[in-house]
Amino acid sequence: MPPVHLGEFEQIVLLAILRLGDKAYGVPVLAEIEKRARRRVTVGALYATLDRLEAKGLVHSWFADPTPQRGGRSKRYFQVLPAGMAALAESKAALDRMWHGIKWKGESGG
Amino acid sequence: MAENPPRMAEALLRWLVGGRDADAVAGDLREQFAARGGGRLWYWRQALSCAAVRVSPHRRMLPGLGQDFTHALRTIRRSPGYALTAMFCLALAMGVNTTLFSLLDSIYFRRLPVPEADRLVKIEREKNALCYWREFVDFRGSLRSMQTAGWGTLFSDEISIGNLRMHAVAEMVSANFAHVLRVGTAAGRWFTPEDDSPAASPSVVISYRFWKSHMNADPAAVGSVLRTGAGQLRIVGIAPSGFEGAFPPFAIDYWFPMAAVTGRRDAPMALLGRLQPRATLDSAAAEFRVIDARLRSDPHDPRAPYPATIQPFTGLAFQGGVRRLAPLARMMSFVCAAVLLIACLNVANLLLSRAAVRQRELAIRHGLGATRWRLFRARLVESLILSAGGEVIGLAAGHWIGRALEIALPSIPEEALRGLQFGLDWRVGASLTAVSMVAAAVFAIASGRVRAVRWRQIYSIAQVTFSLTLLIATALLLRGLDHALHTDPGFATDRRMVVNFSDRHDRLAALLARARAVPGIEDATLARVPLGTISGACATPAADAPPRRVNQNVVEPNYFALMQIPILRGAGFTDAPGLLVNESMARAFWPGQEAIGKPLWTGCTAATRTMLPVAGIVRDLDNPGDTEHVPAFYLSLRSHPENTRGLFGLIVRTAGDPYRWRKALSDALMAEAPDLRIYEMTSISDAISEDLWQSRWQAALLGSVAALAILLAAIGLYGVVACSVAQRTREIGVRMAVGAQAGDVQWMFVGEGLRITLAGVVLGLALSAAITRLLRASLYGLNPLDPIAFGAASLAWIAVAMLASWWPARRATRVDPLTALKYE
Repeated sequence: MPPVHLGEFEQIVLLAILRLGDKAYGVPVLAEIEKRARRRVTVGALYATLDRLEAKGLVHSWFADPTPQRGGRSKRYFQVLPAGMAALAESKAALDRMWHGIKWKGESGG
Repeated sequence: MAENPPRMAEALLRWLVGGRDADAVAGDLREQFAARGGGRLWYWRQALSCAAVRVSPHRRMLPGLGQDFTHALRTIRRSPGYALTAMFCLALAMGVNTTLFSLLDSIYFRRLPVPEADRLVKIEREKNALCYWREFVDFRGSLRSMQTAGWGTLFSDEISIGNLRMHAVAEMVSANFAHVLRVGTAAGRWFTPEDDSPAASPSVVISYRFWKSHMNADPAAVGSVLRTGAGQLRIVGIAPSGFEGAFPPFAIDYWFPMAAVTGRRDAPMALLGRLQPRATLDSAAAEFRVIDARLRSDPHDPRAPYPATIQPFTGLAFQGGVRRLAPLARMMSFVCAAVLLIACLNVANLLLSRAAVRQRELAIRHGLGATRWRLFRARLVESLILSAGGEVIGLAAGHWIGRALEIALPSIPEEALRGLQFGLDWRVGASLTAVSMVAAAVFAIASGRVRAVRWRQIYSIAQVTFSLTLLIATALLLRGLDHALHTDPGFATDRRMVVNFSDRHDRLAALLARARAVPGIEDATLARVPLGTISGACATPAADAPPRRVNQNVVEPNYFALMQIPILRGAGFTDAPGLLVNESMARAFWPGQEAIGKPLWTGCTAATRTMLPVAGIVRDLDNPGDTEHVPAFYLSLRSHPENTRGLFGLIVRTAGDPYRWRKALSDALMAEAPDLRIYEMTSISDAISEDLWQSRWQAALLGSVAALAILLAAIGLYGVVACSVAQRTREIGVRMAVGAQAGDVQWMFVGEGLRITLAGVVLGLALSAAITRLLRASLYGLNPLDPIAFGAASLAWIAVAMLASWWPARRATRVDPLTALKYE
C-alpha cells in the first residue's frame, strides 16, 4: 500500500481520537482539539475530515445506542485503525527528519 | 434546562449531512449547545459549516438506507416466524404464477428457436379453412415481400429402424422449409427443390433428439433407411440440436418432403413465411391481401372461400389451437391474478399485525424525529426483503411446483397440447420480479394504515371474496363434469369396446369376421371415428353452391344398430348408393322439406366432388365435449373405404365387462394380421370420459389453486381474529370478571370472523356470478349460475371460517381475569 499522506488537521484529529481512547465521539474530540491545539473548529469541518479519514481506511466509526441526554440522538464513536497509526508514525518521522539539525535562537540543537 | 437549538438550523443540518450521521452531528451540537448555555448564532454557524460534509467527496452515501436494511434484517431475525410465513405465502403464489405464466407463454408468445424468428409469419385462412399445394405454389411464386414455405399436417406414425418399432411424430414439409426457417443441419443436408417433385426418391431429415435417443447418435445414420407408414425413406440429414420443428409445442422426430413421399399434393397444409429484409409486416400484409384476393377470385377453385391473413409467428402454430385454448388461458390468467392478490393481501395483513405490535417502536422513532418518509422507507425496505425472499423461493419452487402440477393434473390426451411445458424462462422471471416489486410497494403503503384493524378486516373480506370465487368455479366444473358423464350421449356406451388401428382396406372384412368369431363378443362393426363424427368434410345441397364445412363419419352398415343410434327416417344403408345425414344437417340443408331422396354433393374440391342421394336421417348425438350439434353425414365404409385414410375404429359389443375380452380380441386380430397397428383398446365409457379432459384439467387446476387460496385466506382470517383477541385481552378480563360465560366471549370473536366471512361471501357470490360465464364452454350445458355449486361452495367456506375464527377465540376464554387486568 502506498504511504498515506496526512494533512496537519488530519493529524490533529487522529491524535485527538487516540488521546481520548474509547470516549472519542464528536463533542470530546472538538474539546480536545480546542484544549491542546488551541483551535476552534466547526463541527462541519470535523465531520468532513472524519468522513475522509474513514474513507481512506484510517479510522472506523460506529453508532452507540441513543441516550436521552442528547434528545435521544445516538453518538458516533471513532477509533484509529492500524493503518491510521502507521500513517501518523510516518508523518511524525517525516517531520522529525525535517526538523533535525535546525536550531532556534537560544536553544541547543537536538 | 436551556432553550432548544433553532429548529430551522437543525433541519438544515439534517439535510446537509443526511442519514443517521445527521443524528450524531445534531446530538453533538445539542450537547455542546446545552453546555454553552445557548447561542443561536453559534448554532447556525455550526450548522452551516456542515456544508463541508455535504460537498465532501468522501461523504458516506445514503447512510440511512443501509441502516434501514440492517434494521429490517434484524427485525426479521427477531421474529422469523412472521417473515417465513410471509415469504412462504409469496413463494407459493409466485411458484404457481411462474408455472402458469410459462404455460401462457408457450401458447401465445414463444418464438421458434431459429435465426431472426421475429421475421417469421404464419399464413392462415379464416374459419380454420385449409391451404393447399396450389396456393403454396401461387404464394411462393408471386409474393415479393416474403419467402413462403409450406408445411403439412402433423403426422403421428409408427416407424421402424432395423428391428425396432416405435411411435414418432413427423411434419410433412415443402422442400424450401429449412431454407425459409434458416435452419442448418448437424449432419447431411436438408431437402433440395427436386424433392418437391413426386418423382424424387423419398428422403427424410431426422431431429437431433431422435438421432441421439433412437439411433444412439450413430454417425452412419445419414444414408440409412427409415421405414414409415409412408414407405421407406432415406435419411439425408440430421437437424441441429434444439430445433424441433415448426409445430410448437410438438417435438418433431422427422421431416419429409410432402410431394415426394405421399405422392399426394392435395393434402391440406399450413403455410409460413419469412419477411424479406426490407419488408415490414404491414407492407407484406398489404401485398398478401392483393394476391390472396386474386387467388380467391378464380371461379374454378372453391377451396379457398375465406380470406387468408398473415400474423407474426409466436406461440402455437395454429390460431385454431390458440382459439381453442383461449378459455383455458383466460382462466389461467384469472387464477394467476387471484392467487397473487390473495397472497399479497395475506402479507399486507401480516405486516399490519406486525405494525400493530410495533406501534410503540414506530411512535418512539417518530417522536425522535424520524420523518414520515423515513418510516415509510423503512417499511418499504422490509417489504422488499420479504418479497425478494418470496420471489427467490418462488422461482426455485416454480420448477418443483411445475413438476407437482404435472403429476397432480390429469395428463393432456389431446395431441395438439401434449408438448405444453411448465418451464421457466427469463421473461417469466422478469415479469415476476416486476410483480414482486409492485407488491412490495403495495405492502409498504398498505401496512402503514393507521386504522389497522379496519384495514385488516377489509383485506380479509377481499381474501374471502377471491378464494370463494375460485371455490365456486371449481364446484361448477366438477358439477359440469358430473353432468356430462351422466348425459345420454345418444348411443350405447356399456359393454362396448373400441379398438383404434390403422391398416389397408382390403382385409377389413376378414378382421371384422375374426372379431365376431371371438367367443363372448356378440357383434362387431367398423367406423372411421368410433364416437361422434369428425370435422374436415364439405357438402352442399346444390351442384352450383359453394361447399359448406360439415362433419362426417364412414361406417359399416351395422354401426347404427350396434351403437343403438336410431335411424329416424329412411332405410339406412342398402345395396343402392346413398348416404345418411343427421337431424342437424337435414334441418340446415333442406329446411322445411323432406331430406330423404334429396341429392347431396360431398367433397371439398372439384376433383373429389361426388353426388349421393340421402337414404336416411340419423338422430343427433350428444357427444359429451361437444357443446352443439354440427351437421354431419355418414358414408358407407363398404363403398367409400378410401375416406377413412387408413384409420379405423373397431367397435365390439361384449357379453359383460369389455376388458375381459381384450386379450382374446387382440390375439384374434393379430392372428389375422400380424403387422396390424393397434393404437388403443378401451371401453367406450372410458373413451368418453377421456374426452372430458379439458374440464377435468381445469377442475384439477382450479381445485388445487382454490385449496391454496382457502388456506391463505383462512390464515388471514385467523390472524385477524387472533389479533383482535390479543388487543382485547383486558376487555375480556373485565367481561369474565363481571360474569360473562366462556361461550359468550367465544361467540363474540367467532361472530367477528363470521361478519367478515359473510361480507366476503356476498361479494364472492357477486363476483362469481359475473365471471363464471367464462367457463360455459367447459360446463356441458350446466347453468353457470348453478345454485347447488354456489350454495355448496359458500357453505364450505363458512364452515372453514367458523373453524379459523373459533380456534383463536378459544384462547380468549382461557384468559384469567386477574392476569388480563394486570396486562400492560
